[in-house]
Amino acid sequence: MIESAFLAGLIKVLFVGIIITAAYLITARNLMSLVSVYSLQSFTLVIIALLLYLIEGSPVLLAIAAITFASKVLIIPYFIATIQEKIRIKRDIQFHFLSPTSSLLLSMGLMLLVYIALSQVMEGIAERENLFFFGSVLGISLMLMGMMVTFSRKRALTKVLGFLSMENGVLLFGLFVTELPFIIEFLIVIDLIILVLLTTILTVGLDSTLEDYHKRLHRFHLWEDTEEVA
Amino acid sequence: MIAEIFIVALLFLLAGFIIPLVVRSDRRILRTISYGCTIFASAFLTTLSLPVLIGSGTIMFPAYAPAGLFSIGFIIDRLAAFFLLLIAVVSFCVALYSLEYSEHTNGGVRRNLLCAGTNLFVLAMVLVVAAADTFSFFLFWELMAAASFILVMYEYDRPSTPRAGIFYFVMTHLSALFVMLGILLLWFESGSFALEHLAGTPSLLATCAFVCLFCGFAIKSGIIPFHKWLPYAHPASPSPISALMSAVMLKVAVYGLLRFILDVFSPELWWGVLILVFGTASAVLGVIYALKEHDLKAMLAYSSIENIGIIFMGIGLYVVMETSGLPVLATIALLGALFHSLNHALFKSLLFLTAGSVIHATHTRDIEHMGGLIHRMPVTGALFCTGSLAIAALPPLNGFASELLIFIAFFTSVTIVDPILKVFLFLCLALFALTSALSAACFVKAFGSVFLGMPRSQESEDAREMPPLMLLGPGILAAACVVLGVFALQVITLAGFAVPLPDLFLVGLLLLMMLVLTYAVLFFTSPRTFRVSETWGCGMHFQEAGAEYTGHGFSEPLDIIFSPLYRTRIRNERQFYDEHNVIFKAGAAEIRLLRVFEEYLYLPVARGFAALTRTIAQFQNGCLDTYILYVFVTVLALLVFLGWSA
Repeated sequence: MIESAFLAGLIKVLFVGIIITAAYLITARNLMSLVSVYSLQSFTLVIIALLLYLIEGSPVLLAIAAITFASKVLIIPYFIATIQEKIRIKRDIQFHFLSPTSSLLLSMGLMLLVYIALSQVMEGIAERENLFFFGSVLGISLMLMGMMVTFSRKRALTKVLGFLSMENGVLLFGLFVTELPFIIEFLIVIDLIILVLLTTILTVGLDSTLEDYHKRLHRFHLWEDTEEVA
Repeated sequence: MIAEIFIVALLFLLAGFIIPLVVRSDRRILRTISYGCTIFASAFLTTLSLPVLIGSGTIMFPAYAPAGLFSIGFIIDRLAAFFLLLIAVVSFCVALYSLEYSEHTNGGVRRNLLCAGTNLFVLAMVLVVAAADTFSFFLFWELMAAASFILVMYEYDRPSTPRAGIFYFVMTHLSALFVMLGILLLWFESGSFALEHLAGTPSLLATCAFVCLFCGFAIKSGIIPFHKWLPYAHPASPSPISALMSAVMLKVAVYGLLRFILDVFSPELWWGVLILVFGTASAVLGVIYALKEHDLKAMLAYSSIENIGIIFMGIGLYVVMETSGLPVLATIALLGALFHSLNHALFKSLLFLTAGSVIHATHTRDIEHMGGLIHRMPVTGALFCTGSLAIAALPPLNGFASELLIFIAFFTSVTIVDPILKVFLFLCLALFALTSALSAACFVKAFGSVFLGMPRSQESEDAREMPPLMLLGPGILAAACVVLGVFALQVITLAGFAVPLPDLFLVGLLLLMMLVLTYAVLFFTSPRTFRVSETWGCGMHFQEAGAEYTGHGFSEPLDIIFSPLYRTRIRNERQFYDEHNVIFKAGAAEIRLLRVFEEYLYLPVARGFAALTRTIAQFQNGCLDTYILYVFVTVLALLVFLGWSA
């Protein structure tokens, strides 16, 4: 049996990996590598879930690891990679409100803020359950960073990746803090929504901005509403 | 029994509201039924309020409480009965007048809306006055505002109406906002919506509640500087509605103020001073603006501001006297204010109705285009003259009686209270005296320009007398003005108050005797030789209307005296063909009266709000990213709050 302190150490190393992937998601311009990094981030989560299973022995963690691996490491990245081959645009260089550098600086500040806020809320737990505290801090930070990606990028594809990364944050937080069976259900629902969203985007064009996208739906007669005047 | 009469009256008004709306057909009989309902309801309300007013019994109705805290209840005490009587009498006469008036206006089936709206409006006012708690008071107050707004917008196709309507809508809701704030503050203070007396020195909360309520009622009653909606709304609405609004709705606001001052608060001296200052300012400025006005209905609107000012002076004086420990003088002042409310309701509705007839006959509101109507509309002229005499406070008419009561309170108080207050009251008295004199001048001008001299337009030349029903309504009001004036002392004594008022019946007899004597002396002493010739026409061959003395000419000396108040704005815009401004292309020039309150108070506030709303509107830019940013910022703020509060 492996010692749990060693496992906890390993998890902390993986935390650093998650931070790096999140930072990459914020700054990277190449769409292809964005998808790979997202896949890598999800894979890190899978390993964290497995390590936690080794520490705690709860079979639910295994289930989470399996679902995450299947959906977020394999299916969704494959899905997006397939579309990317079909569209011409390979780079997303348009930013809203925040430049990549300022996003990075802001995300550092964010993590600090979340750390301070949570250490106030979880007074006592922070010292006793060091790992779980860091896990939750990182979960919320990842969620906020994902949100930052969603509003600071212009292409629909990067927005979706931001959203997926946000959901990774929720998963991370759920792994360490909340009750697991509930969170599994929650994740599945969200994953389904994302799949539906992706499929819809797939049908018309992933390379557009969201404002463009609505027009395209009209153009291809996939969306008929009464407001439209021919 | 009295309670049942009240319910029947309400049902009549409700029927008068519903029938013309449900049966949407352009038939006279429908409107006659609707106005008939108003007339019956008014008659019932009169029979109900008179016994309550003379005796001292109070009628309570069981409160209907649909949801715990909020209940709707009615109570009719002497104060409510007084205002119910006022509403009933005016509504009765206005409905009589409208029976004919509505048939002489254009609008087809839309006229049904006019009579339905009138009934709803009267119903709302009756309910406000009878409301037993602050919640129902506010509920019906809003109903009254909505009904009156619909009526102001009735002639929406006239170019000036939408602007007047929006102005009125904003102001009336500002008033409702203040009233609501006041009521909520009172609820915080006392913990209930009941009209309970708050004994002892008023707390800060109670004081704020009073200030809010005062602002609310001041806006609704058109006290300067909140008055600007009146000169817009009155000319825009049909004459019977102007009559109802000016004569009754403004009094409902007065009722609100009185109800809260008498039944809820224990006022302080400065409250009285505040009311007195606003009242005096409104009285003086109102009549000064009225003098300058040549739109007949706008002039009557300004005159309403003046009279409401006088009523507020009476109320302010009451508070001052009450807090200075002079209950007898306080009662006289209060009686003066109440009596003037009734009198103003009578003569102002009389004037608005007769003005409506004149405008209907001449198709203009500009008094400079009227003239000579006394020969063409003699009865209307006589009625307008009676109203003018009453509003100018000439004995023995009712305006004189009520103003005299307030004067008596002023005169007597000056000898008693402390020096600074004495100087202040003296100043108010002087301004009040000035107001009365100017008011007389204003109505001499109005009557002279409209009815005397030669017609100054073809329409005035062709004007004809109104049908009997349009004379009967104002006729009753004119008779009431005379009766309430001549028998003022008897009426007040009958209500159970002893006031140092001279018996105006005797004064009237004396005046009549003097008139008869003068005529007799002249008749018997004048030589019996006659000489028929034309009046000297300043060397001109023939007399024409353009050469006559106009209303403007009449008020010119007063204009000069008050010229610092009538500031003008000169606009002179010129365009040139060349850049050196030599070859003239086109130009426009205008000299008009500066709308001081509008341009320096209302518009800056409105522009400020517009700028603020534009700033806020920028937040909604239709971009998804921005909205996610808001969510992000909100989450961050929550995090900070969480960390800070833990």
